[in-house]
This record gives sequence, structure tokens and C-alpha cells, in this order.
Amino acid sequence: MQSSPEVVETSQNASKSVREIYLPPERKKVSGGGVPHVSAKNFSVYYGEFEAVKKVNADILSKYVTAIIGPSGCGKSTFLRAINRMNDLIPNSHTTGSLMFDGEDVHGKFTDEVLLRKKIGMVFQKPNPFPKSIFDNIAYGPRLHGIKDKKTLEGIVEKSLRKAALWDEVCDRLDKNALGMSGGQQQRLCFARTLAVEPEILLLDEPTSALDPKATAKIEDLIQELRGSYTIMIVTHNMQQASRVSDFTMFFYEGVLVEHAPTAQLFTKPKDSMTEDYITGRFS
Amino acid sequence: MSSEDTARQVRSSAFVVSARKRKLQKISKMAGESTLLLIASFVAVVVLFIFFFVARDAVPFFQIRGFSEFFTSTNWYPADDPPGFGSLAIIYGSLMVTVGSALIAIPMGITAAICLSDVLPFSVRQYVKPIIEMLAAIPSVAFGFFALVILAPLLQNFGGPILMWTWWLIVSPFLLLAIIVVSELLTANIASEKKRKILHATSLGVFGLIALALLFFVGRKLQGIEILTGTNALNVSIILSFMALPTIVSVSEDALQAVGRELREGSYALGATRAETIVKTILPAASSGILAAVILGIMRSLGETMVVWMASGNSSHIPDPWFNYLESVRTLTATIAGDMGEADQVTGSARFHVLFAMGLLLLVISFVSNFISERIIVRQRKVLSGQ
Amino acid sequence: MNLGTRKLLDRAFTALGLGSIAVMAMMLLVVLVPIVSKGFSAIVFKSTVEHRKMVFNEFHRGNRSALEKEIAASDAARRNVYDMLSRFESELMLMNEDKQQEYTEKYDQVKSALRGLLGPLPGDSEPALTRLTYGQNRWEKAEEKLQELLYEKKWDYSNPDVVAKEYFVSRSAGFEGTSLARLFPYVEKNIDRMLLPEWTFYWGFITDSSVDSHIFGGIWPEIQGTLFLAIGAMLFAFPLGVIAAIYFTEYAREGFFNSLLRSANSTLAGVPSIVFGLFGLAFFINTLKVSESKSVLAGSLTLAIMILPTIIRAAEEAILAVPKTYREASLGLGSTKWNTIVTVILPAALPGILTGGVISLGRAAGETAPIIFTAAVSVGSAIGLADVFTSPTPALSWNIYNLASEHEAAAEIRHVQYGMVLSLISIVLLLNLSAVILRARISKKLKG
Ligand SMILES: Nc1ncnc2c1ncn2[C@@H]1O[C@H](COP(=O)(O)OP(=O)(O)OP(=O)(O)O)[C@@H](O)[C@H]1O
Ligand SMILES: [Mg+2]
Repeated sequence: MQSSPEVVETSQNASKSVREIYLPPERKKVSGGGVPHVSAKNFSVYYGEFEAVKKVNADILSKYVTAIIGPSGCGKSTFLRAINRMNDLIPNSHTTGSLMFDGEDVHGKFTDEVLLRKKIGMVFQKPNPFPKSIFDNIAYGPRLHGIKDKKTLEGIVEKSLRKAALWDEVCDRLDKNALGMSGGQQQRLCFARTLAVEPEILLLDEPTSALDPKATAKIEDLIQELRGSYTIMIVTHNMQQASRVSDFTMFFYEGVLVEHAPTAQLFTKPKDSMTEDYITGRFS
Repeated sequence: MSSEDTARQVRSSAFVVSARKRKLQKISKMAGESTLLLIASFVAVVVLFIFFFVARDAVPFFQIRGFSEFFTSTNWYPADDPPGFGSLAIIYGSLMVTVGSALIAIPMGITAAICLSDVLPFSVRQYVKPIIEMLAAIPSVAFGFFALVILAPLLQNFGGPILMWTWWLIVSPFLLLAIIVVSELLTANIASEKKRKILHATSLGVFGLIALALLFFVGRKLQGIEILTGTNALNVSIILSFMALPTIVSVSEDALQAVGRELREGSYALGATRAETIVKTILPAASSGILAAVILGIMRSLGETMVVWMASGNSSHIPDPWFNYLESVRTLTATIAGDMGEADQVTGSARFHVLFAMGLLLLVISFVSNFISERIIVRQRKVLSGQ
Repeated sequence: MNLGTRKLLDRAFTALGLGSIAVMAMMLLVVLVPIVSKGFSAIVFKSTVEHRKMVFNEFHRGNRSALEKEIAASDAARRNVYDMLSRFESELMLMNEDKQQEYTEKYDQVKSALRGLLGPLPGDSEPALTRLTYGQNRWEKAEEKLQELLYEKKWDYSNPDVVAKEYFVSRSAGFEGTSLARLFPYVEKNIDRMLLPEWTFYWGFITDSSVDSHIFGGIWPEIQGTLFLAIGAMLFAFPLGVIAAIYFTEYAREGFFNSLLRSANSTLAGVPSIVFGLFGLAFFINTLKVSESKSVLAGSLTLAIMILPTIIRAAEEAILAVPKTYREASLGLGSTKWNTIVTVILPAALPGILTGGVISLGRAAGETAPIIFTAAVSVGSAIGLADVFTSPTPALSWNIYNLASEHEAAAEIRHVQYGMVLSLISIVLLLNLSAVILRARISKKLKG
């Protein structure tokens, strides 16, 4: 698979495991990427007393796709949701250590979580469009952030739908209820809705687990389209998917980040025996 | 300012805000939340106010007249000179119609709830629920009008036959069932097949004759009864029971539904019939919820005003004998509603305040039973969720 | 027990439950059928010329020339009756004293029965009450009055063991041999020519105000009062209830204070309605003095407090039923919590919230006890919108009670009472029906 690995330059403070990036030949180097966009240092997330994510140290490189894999309940979603502070919704959850985004502490005292979430968009496991029209779904974010002008909104809606490869399918029924679309279309609508607020990071929590194979393929294509423009983190239970779409993979086990490496390397030459057991299906 | 600092500021302006802004945000959030809290606690304030203001006007009565007369005497002559404020008969009247309606509504309500949750298929349930909701929606004054204009003349003119037919319709199926079951049980332990069959037949015959005699005898007695006034405790009890039924049915049904499928399947798997499953397994598990439902239903009867005011006859005496439902009675609610008009002109007199004393009594009873039923529901929820 | 008996018991058990439900359904029918059928007879009935006269004089509706023609025709038929009366009166003058006395008494009864049937007789002075200026408005009532004219009701006390029985004697027999004897067969034969019965759709029953405390006319003041009171109650309770529900579902943290608030809510739901009336009187009128005495405002406030718990509960349920994913999606797009509530959660919960609101509106419209001391009066005309702060109003629920139990001619105006009950039930059930439709809409909308 990785016959001639390409080495990507990374910045100084990237952690050792990802300093050298091996990309398989079919993957192009991303221009202007590879900077640590999110960095965790001794970062833990607690639910009450229970430490769901344990002292994670990692750099997520910008504009690349990072997959997060691991058995159920290992803290993948928890880690992901900590990045845009969706965990705030859960009473008595708190964090320790630091999680920096763009060099600022995400959980810091002066962080405005609303502005943060505008920068870090999220797409969820189940497609969750609002029970409104397709147009209103996508215009929801821009409207929130003060865009009222109809023309501008139309422009944003079209651009976002095109980015999400949905424009051709829905351009003639933008005023129809979004709940009338197919599951795959709904999920791409959720992508478009997130893209409309122009985030820098896309967090995807098992975005295809509720979809059929065809819709899944479309989403995967979409992720490839978006790679290079956004920093993407995707939680998935599907090993093939991880190896297909991602440049880097993080393997979590019981809240611990066991291994974080270029995908090509992690799937062929895992350093940790636990990782190997997991990717070869010896436990799940 | 170093260049690094500037760069940081430019970047961080994205989502990190100044301490002042953050503080402001926090304050406005707090302010918003406390406004909401304030509005939400309005309900609690209202409850306190209700207690306070009803009690404030009830206390003067007890100051003027003391406690014992109100609770122990049946002399209700508020307009006479000297007046009498003995409310025992009125309290008893409330009790009587409440008990009467409960006697009708509880068995009907619980069996209907069981039917809804365990017997009827979903397609039928869809049509039954609106019936119950409609019963609940009909205004009490409409029920009162029905009781006064339609039911009361019926009872007055055809009281005896109505009583007799009701007796027959309700009691004969139960007697029949009882005879079959008793005969079965009596002969169950006899070894010889032939002897058992003979004995079984005889016991069926004997009990059947006794039951028939009983039915006829009581039926004849009932038919002979002349109801002097249709506006009586029986009339009111019937109507009140139909007003309490929706509450009992829907709250009991919730309790029955809360008992999980596992329990039911477990019982069926052991070879129990549906009735056995329900009586032996589901009802015990849902019993506290059903108790709460019954309390809430009874409270509706006790607190109902218009029906009793229009159709109870409003005569403040303890019926003779005390369980005679065919006599007129007077209740607390009807007294408050009916006497305020005259009492109002002399605000401040014992006559005015005694009505508040009655209101306070109702309020306290409703508060206590509400509290109890709420505790029961909470406890059951805990038990069922395994905590 | 053997299997047969167990199965039998099982069947019996099922039958019991089905029986209870059947009895409930039957009760619903037994209550609704007479109310609906007789209620409609307040609007659709065979009216007499007297009714049309009344409508023309009191409400200025109707075709004058047609009415005049009708009156002329009925007068022509009545003239014979009046002639017979005056002939008998002159006959009466010529009788000896004993006979005169005997007949005068009977004759007065006849005259008053005729007045009830046809209105004032010639030579009567102008009656003080409007109810006496017209004859029977409704044909079925006229037929009853005719029987009263033809037969005298007497009571048989001969058997002291049983309640006295009524029996009837023909009045014409009492006037055998006088000229008046001819009057009875004449009236019996010509009654429809004198009253000209005709099927009428009297929509004015809904829109007219009442005449002479509901003897004639309609029930508009009551309907309007009911609407004012119920809508007024909603204006207070709905916003409060929805905001409280938002607090309980979105902001409240589990704890002692929160459970206290919830207990307060269910306590309020259990307070007997008459106690709300007492509270309204003691607090809003006697303490706050929102108005001098009873007023729509005081009644609305009292009703508002009564329906508050229902609204809160319904709104809470509706908000909790909104999928959590909507919340996450909105917050994930960088929306604030409050913004999420306003733009996503409330719109999605709106049908459920409205359902609760509409049902509460029905409850407020149907309640009587809380408005007895705070807002309702027995008679009165429709009040203007500006008067709601100061004046009390008639209301359907209260006037049903009042007309059925306290009106001096309660038995004479049963049709009005039935009409009122039907109107009230229609308002309440229509509101509930629309709630059901709303609820069906939600599931459809949320399913897409
Ligand atoms: N709201 C919560 N309160 C308490 N514990 C929680 C909560 N949410 C998750 N947990 C616990 O935290 C741990 C990690 O959960 P998380 O949802 O992050 O797992 P996951 O890796 O995403 O699993 P899955 O693959 O099933 O989605 C689990 O043990 C879970 O039980
Ligand atoms: Mg997860």
C-alpha cells in the first residue's frame, strides 16, 4: 500500500509520533496544512468522578483528515465533543489538562463557547436536520451570525450545498421540508449546514453509521473533497473507512490514547500490540 | 507590544474574548436565568398565597366561634338569630357523595384502565381514548344540568324499577361466576370421578337456587322503593363518579404501562391466563400508582362544586339511616358556592368567614392527598427503575 | 381449578373491563344526545307569529309588510275568540250573584290561559313585563298552553297512603250552557290559524342579547362573556406557563428547590375549583382591589391561576419531546442556548404547547366555580371590551346554573338552558377537537 512514502514537513512542536508523515501515493500533500490545529496536553474529561478520556497528548494537524477509532465506550465521542465544548451540555462533566485550538485554551476562562462552536463545526451520528425547509436549515447558522440579506443568504446556501455535493439534487426544492429527504441527503444537508458557518474544523461523530453503503460512499467522497480545506476529525467504527478517508488515525482504548500515527503506518505496522489486536479484529 | 502578542491577539479574537466581555456575558446569563426562575417560582408563590389568603379569612371564624361547633354540631342555621354554624352534616355530605362516587368509579376505572393497557388492541384503544378525554372535557356545569334536569326526574319517577334493573344487571353475572367457582372449589378434592360430578351438579343447583331467591327478593324490595326526591346523594354520586373516571383511568393506565413487558411475558410463560397475569403480577406491581390514581380521582369528586350544588338537594342533615343515599345532602363546596351570595353583604361576619373555613378544610385535604399521591408516584417510579 | 373455569374467569375479567368502557361510552351518549338534540331546538323550531313579532319589535329584523299581513290574518282568526269573550262578559253581567262568582273565578283562569297562548287580550292594560306582551313564541309550548286552556289540572287526594295523583277535567264542561262553551272547540280547531306556526332557523339565539331575563332572545352576552373570560385567562397563563416550562425543562437543575417548585405545581393542579373562587375574591378583589367588585379581569386572573399547571405540564411534555439532536445541531452551529430555544426548540414544540393551551382554554371556558365570586352575574347585556377591567359579565357556565336552578320560570325556558349547554359544550369540545388535530399534525410534521 505505501510503496513510496512522502514526508510532510511539520512544525516544531508537533508530537514525535506524527513528525514524519507517511502518505500513500494516492494522497496528495496538502498545501499550507500540517500545522498543529488542536493540541491536547495531559487532557482528561470527566463525567463526575469517572475519567472518560485519560491524559491525552496529541496534535491534530490542520487540513488533514484524522480518524478516531476504538472499541465502544472508549471515549471517542467524549474526546471529540470536548473539542467544541458540546460536553458543556452534560451536567457535572469537567476537564483537566489543556486543549489548545489555534494556540488558545478551549476550556479557558475567557473562551466564548458560542464563538468557538462557530469555528469548530460538528456533524452527528444520526442526520438531524431541523424540521424546517432545506433553505432555512442551511441559512440557520449564517442568520444566527447576523446575515439578514436575502441575496447573500442565497449565495451562501448555494455555495454550501455545492460543497456538500447536494446542490444538483435539491436546487429545485429548497423550500421543501428537510425531513422529506433521504437519510444520506439529510446527512449531506447537515454537512452543508455546518459548512455554511465557515468553520475551520469539522468534527464528524460516526457520520455514516446510520446510512446505507451507497450514501456512505457519497459521504466519504465528500470528505475527500473537503480534505485540504478543513481540518477534519472523524470517529468511526469502520476500519476500512478509517483507512480509506483518513491521513492520521488515533486509537483509543478505555479513555487512553494508545496510538496516534499516520493511517498508512498504523494499519500496516502498528507499534502497539493492542492496536494490532484491535485492527485485526481480535477484540472489539 | 511584541509581534508575537499582536499575532496572538489577532488569532484569538476568533473565540477568546476579553475578561470584561466574559464577565458581562456571565452576568447577563445569570440575569436571564434568574428571570426565568422568578417566573417559574410564580406557581409556588401562588400556592403560598392561596393558603395564606384563604386562611386569613378563615381564622376569624374560629376566633369568633371556636372549633368544636364547626366540627361536631349539625346545626347549620347561619342566617338565624342566634346563628348556628355546625358543619358536621355538611362535612358528612361531602364525605358521603365522595365515597359514593368512589364506590362506582374505582372498580370501573381500574378495570377500564386494565382493559386499555392489557386487553384492547392498539387499533381499538385509539377510539376509546377520545371517549375518556371527552368525558373529562365536558364542563361540570353541563353534568350538573344533566343531573338536575334529566337524571333527577328519572330517579324520582322510575326510581324503584331503575334500582331493580341495576341490581339485576350488575349482581347476577357476579353471582353466576361465584357459583361456578365455589362449586368447583368445593368438589375439587374429591377423588372419585363419578361422585365428584354428582356433587358438583348438586352444588351448582343448590347455590343457583339460593342466588336466584336472593336476586328476586332484593329486586322486589328495591322495586318497591319510592324515591321522594331525585336530587339526592345517589344522583350526585353517579355523576361524580363519571367525572372522576377519566382521571382514575388515565393515571392508572400510566401506572400499568410502567410495569414492563418482561414481567408480563414472564407470567404468561409460566402458563398463567391473562386475568391471572394481571391480578397476580401486574396489579401488585402497579398498585401504588393505581392508589395514586384513586386518590386523585376522589379528590375530583370532593372538590367538585356545580354538580353537587345543582343536584344534591342542598339539605344539611345527616341522612337517616346514615347510609341512605336516596336523601338529599349538602356538601362543603355547594355551601361555599351557595351561601357566599348572601354572606357577602356582611363581609367580616362569622357567616362570611365560615365559608373560608370550609375552603381551608378543602384546601388542606386536597394538599395532603396530593402530597401523598405524589410521594406514591415518585416511590413507584423509583422501585420500577430499580433504584 | 380446572382450565375451563380459569378460562371462564379470564373471559369474565375481560368482559368486566369492556363493560366499564362501554358504560363510559354510554354515559357520554346519554349526556350528549339529549343535550345536542334539545339544544338544537333552541335554534331550529316551529315558531309562531308571536315570535316573529317579538323579533321584529325587539331586534328590528324581519319583513314589515309580510309580518303585517301575517298579523292581520291571525287577528282575523282571533277576533272570533275575543268576540266570544265579550259576549260571555255581557252574559256574566246578567247572572245572579252566586253564579257570577262561580263563573268569574273560572273565567279568569280561562283568560289567563288565553293570555299565555295569544298575548294580551283586548282591553288589557299595557303589561309591565316584556314576557307578557307576546303570546307563545314556540309552537310546542303553544300546544302545551292549549292543553292548559282546554283542561284543568286537579289533584286526587282521596287515597292518603300514596302521593296525590293528578287528573284533568275539561274546562268546556264547566261552561256548559253559556256562550263561552263554544270557545274551546273553536280555539282547539283554529289554533294554528291564530298562531301561524312555521319552521324557523333562529340564528339570533347565538347573536341576540336576551330579552326579559331569557324569556325571549338569545345568549350572546353569555357567549361573549365566556370568550372574554377564557381568552383573558389565557393571556395571563399562557406566556407564564410556557416560560415556566422552559425553565423546568432547559435550565432547572435537580435539587431541593426544583422539586419544591414541581410539588407546588401539582398542588396547584389539585386545588378544588371553588377554592380558587374564594382566593380570587379574597386576593384579587378584596386585597389587590383590581376592581371595585366582580369583574372580567378578576375572573380571568382567577381562571389563569387555575389553568396554569395544565399549561406548564403540557408545555413541558412538548418541549421534552423535541429530539435532543435538534439542540445539539443548533448549539454545534454556534447558537446560544436562548437562541436555540427560541428558534429551534419552541417551533418544534409549538404544536404540543398549543394543544395544551387550547385544552386549557376549553377548561377555562367551562369552569363555573372560580367565577361565581369573581366575575359572573346572572343578568346583563354584553359588555364592551373597554369594560373588562371594571364590570362583571354573564357567562355561559354560570347562567346555565342560574337559569336551571334559580330562574323564576326555569321550567318554561328549558330550551334556552339546553341551548346554552349545547353552546358551551360545543365551544369546549371544538377546542378539544382542534387540539386533537393539532396533535396529529405534530407527529406528521416531525416525521417529515
Ligand atoms: N453523559 C454521560 N454521563 C456519564 N458517563 C458518560 C456519559 N456519556 C458517556 N459516558 C461514559 O463515558 C465513556 C465514554 O463514552 P463515549 O460516548 O465517549 O464512548 P464512545 O467511544 O463514543 O462509544 P461509542 O463507540 O459507543 O459511541 C463511556 O464509558 C460512557 O459510559
Ligand atoms: Mg460515540
